[in-house]
Amino acid sequence: MTDTDDPDENTLISRMKSGDQQSYHEAVRAYSPGMLAVARFYLDRSSAEDIVQDCWVTVIDAIQTFEGRSGLKTWLHRIVANRCKNRLRSAKREVPMDFSDGLDPDLDSRFNASGRWEIPPKLRFDESADTLMENGALSDCLDKHLSALPETQRSALMLYEAHQHKSDDVCNILDVSASNLRVLLHRARQKIFLMVETFQETGEC
Amino acid sequence: MLMCRDLAMIASDYIDGELGTAGKLSVKMHLMMCGNCRTFIGNLRASTELMKAHTSGTVDEEFVRRIDERVAEALEAKERGKGNT
Ligand SMILES: [Zn+2]
Repeated sequence: MTDTDDPDENTLISRMKSGDQQSYHEAVRAYSPGMLAVARFYLDRSSAEDIVQDCWVTVIDAIQTFEGRSGLKTWLHRIVANRCKNRLRSAKREVPMDFSDGLDPDLDSRFNASGRWEIPPKLRFDESADTLMENGALSDCLDKHLSALPETQRSALMLYEAHQHKSDDVCNILDVSASNLRVLLHRARQKIFLMVETFQETGEC
Repeated sequence: MLMCRDLAMIASDYIDGELGTAGKLSVKMHLMMCGNCRTFIGNLRASTELMKAHTSGTVDEEFVRRIDERVAEALEAKERGKGNT
């Protein structure tokens, strides 16, 4: 028996253990985007996609011994991370990372020498996220900027925000310290903030 | 005294509740006096929410379909294997 808190997840896991094809279909849809975000932290796009595919094949056997202590999502993300780390180790490659501190240069330039706003944020983004997302152009612009983020920042942001992992899990999966995770998250959020601000002001991406 | 630029540096930590008591207090004091930083924090939070709303629905259908196929093959191979033994 598994003992995650989520009854739906427990049902899904037992169906997967029994080899039910439909259950894999559901799991693949639900968990692959997050798994890809993990793999993209370590590898280029096509290697990352290969790793995620390979992982699913190993999951068919590995799920038999899954005890559910960590939750299915975290378990899957760890499998992907370990595979990626092995791949990098055998290729003797390291993940390039930029932990240069704090502020994005485009935001930093908006403060004067005394540390006050020279060019303050002008508009309040007061529409709800759902209303804003009905704007197709904004959605395209977000896609463009998300894909322009350094992989490390994007993966950290995705795992923390979109896949709602706790900080500890993200650090574990991505093999970064807590303080480095904070830098990655803050860097990524500033970029998204700057993008949305430009879009709101000019209507252009 | 915490300046606007200092606040911008630790804004994510504030949003995520990662600041200690003293840090949190000095941000709160600053926000009471500074409308620009209130707008900044609000917008940083809003754009993060936006990103979240945007990405949580996105699935690459082609990618998922390819995985589905491989998983289906592997499951069938496993079934056959069981039949043989
Ligand atoms: Zn301020």
